[in-house]
Order: sequence, then C-alpha cells, then structure tokens
Amino acid sequence: MKHLLLRLEPVIWLLFGGGIMVGTMLMTAWIAVVGLGAPMGLVPADALAFERAHALGSSLIGRIVLAALIALPLWKGAHHTRHVFIDMGGADRDALVAPVLYLLAIAGTVLAIAAVVRL
Amino acid sequence: MARAAHPDAMKPKSPGRTRTAPPMAPGQFPFAGRYRAYTLFDWTGIIYLLLGFVALRVVWALGNGEGAWQSIQGQLENPLYLAFHILSLVSVIFVGVRFFRLFPKAQPPRIGPLKPPPGPVIQAALYAAWVGVAGGLALVLAGGIF
Repeated sequence: MKHLLLRLEPVIWLLFGGGIMVGTMLMTAWIAVVGLGAPMGLVPADALAFERAHALGSSLIGRIVLAALIALPLWKGAHHTRHVFIDMGGADRDALVAPVLYLLAIAGTVLAIAAVVRL
Repeated sequence: MARAAHPDAMKPKSPGRTRTAPPMAPGQFPFAGRYRAYTLFDWTGIIYLLLGFVALRVVWALGNGEGAWQSIQGQLENPLYLAFHILSLVSVIFVGVRFFRLFPKAQPPRIGPLKPPPGPVIQAALYAAWVGVAGGLALVLAGGIF
C-alpha cells in the first residue's frame, strides 16, 4: 500500500494543489454567499431562488464550477487530514488511514460529477 | 527505463550496530512558535473535507427539485451551519494567504529557458486572481450580474 501511495503521489499532489488553489478561490465566494449571505438575509431573496439557482448550476460553466468547487477541496482535505494523523503520532497507521481518506475523496468526486450531471 | 524505487529500498536488512536516538518532536511542536501556522494549515484539511461534502449536499438538493432546495436553504440557517461556515471562511482565507505567500518561494530558479517573474509579481497575480474569481462568482451567486 505504501508503494502504491508513493506511485500515486503526483496525481494526489495535483488534485491537492488544485484543491488549495481553485478550491480556495471558489469556496470564498460560495461560503460568503450560499453559506452565510443567503441564510443571514444579506443577499436578495430571489438571488438563490430555485429557478435562478438551477439555471446557473445547470449551464455548462455552472456544472464545471460546481464540480470543481465540490471535488477539489475534498482532495485538499483528504491529503491534509492524512498529514494531521501522521503529525499527531499516527505514522504507523498511515497505510490504513491514507487509503480511507483518498477513497472518501474519490467517492466525493464521483458524487460531485453525478450531482452536476443530474441538474 | 528506470523503475520507481521501493520506499524501503535503502533500509538495511538488519539494524546497524550504531545506536541512534529515538526520533523526538521539537519542543514547540505542534502548537507553539513557528509550528502553530504549519499545524493549523494541516488542520484546515478537516474543514475542507467537511466543506466539500456540505457543498455536495447543497448541489444534490438542487438536483432534487424545488422542495429539496427550499429545505436545504432552511437548514443552512441553523446556527450550527452558520458557525461552521464562519469557521470555514476564516480557514479558506488563512489557507489562501499562507499558500499565496509560500507559492513564490517554491518556484524553481528557471523553467526551461524562462525565469519565473519576481516573487512580489507572482504574489500580486495570485491575489488578483483570487479577488477576481471570488468576487466574480460572488456577484453571480448574489444576483449582481446575470
């Protein structure tokens, strides 16, 4: 497993880097508007009305943005959570923890693609 | 064609005769001194992981129709979700600021025949991209444009 993880390291790092770069840029706006602005009544009520949100999300650019916004942070999250385990004394269990976290990111990525395809 | 080396390729078959000190974490690790920012940067991974799944839940609800969308909008008003999103916003800004400060330092001295631009130029470009992408998407989501 350790050998396989090392072989996959370039791919994992690509997705991890994308998670930091793209995820951070997109997530800032998502959290500000969807996570905080709308629930707190700081943005117009019709901005995230179903028809408008669905029209935005189901456009080609909307699907790509939403898929990146969901999937890439999962890879950043999985890779850094793995390092939290290692740094907190879990290096011996890395061969178990790392595959679980990356499988979680893979599952989330597949579900993210499914979520935007079914819009 | 070179093959990837096995991770334990350099490990001796039997322990050497020279005694070595057991590995020890530095005194300030993990939350003091310069280690604090490093550790917090790692810990934001847990926030990002949760954030990705929350966003997945929201987009999935959008695909389930108007009723599910209204329901998830109502759930996002829960104080727990609001607290989580405030923590997430702080985390995302912390990650962006730290990563964009480190990014210019991680550049190679040359990329083929080209030299990378000076660090401050790279950093300014990253911040401009962040403000542009996040600001543009926020405007679209909030109904400012489109």
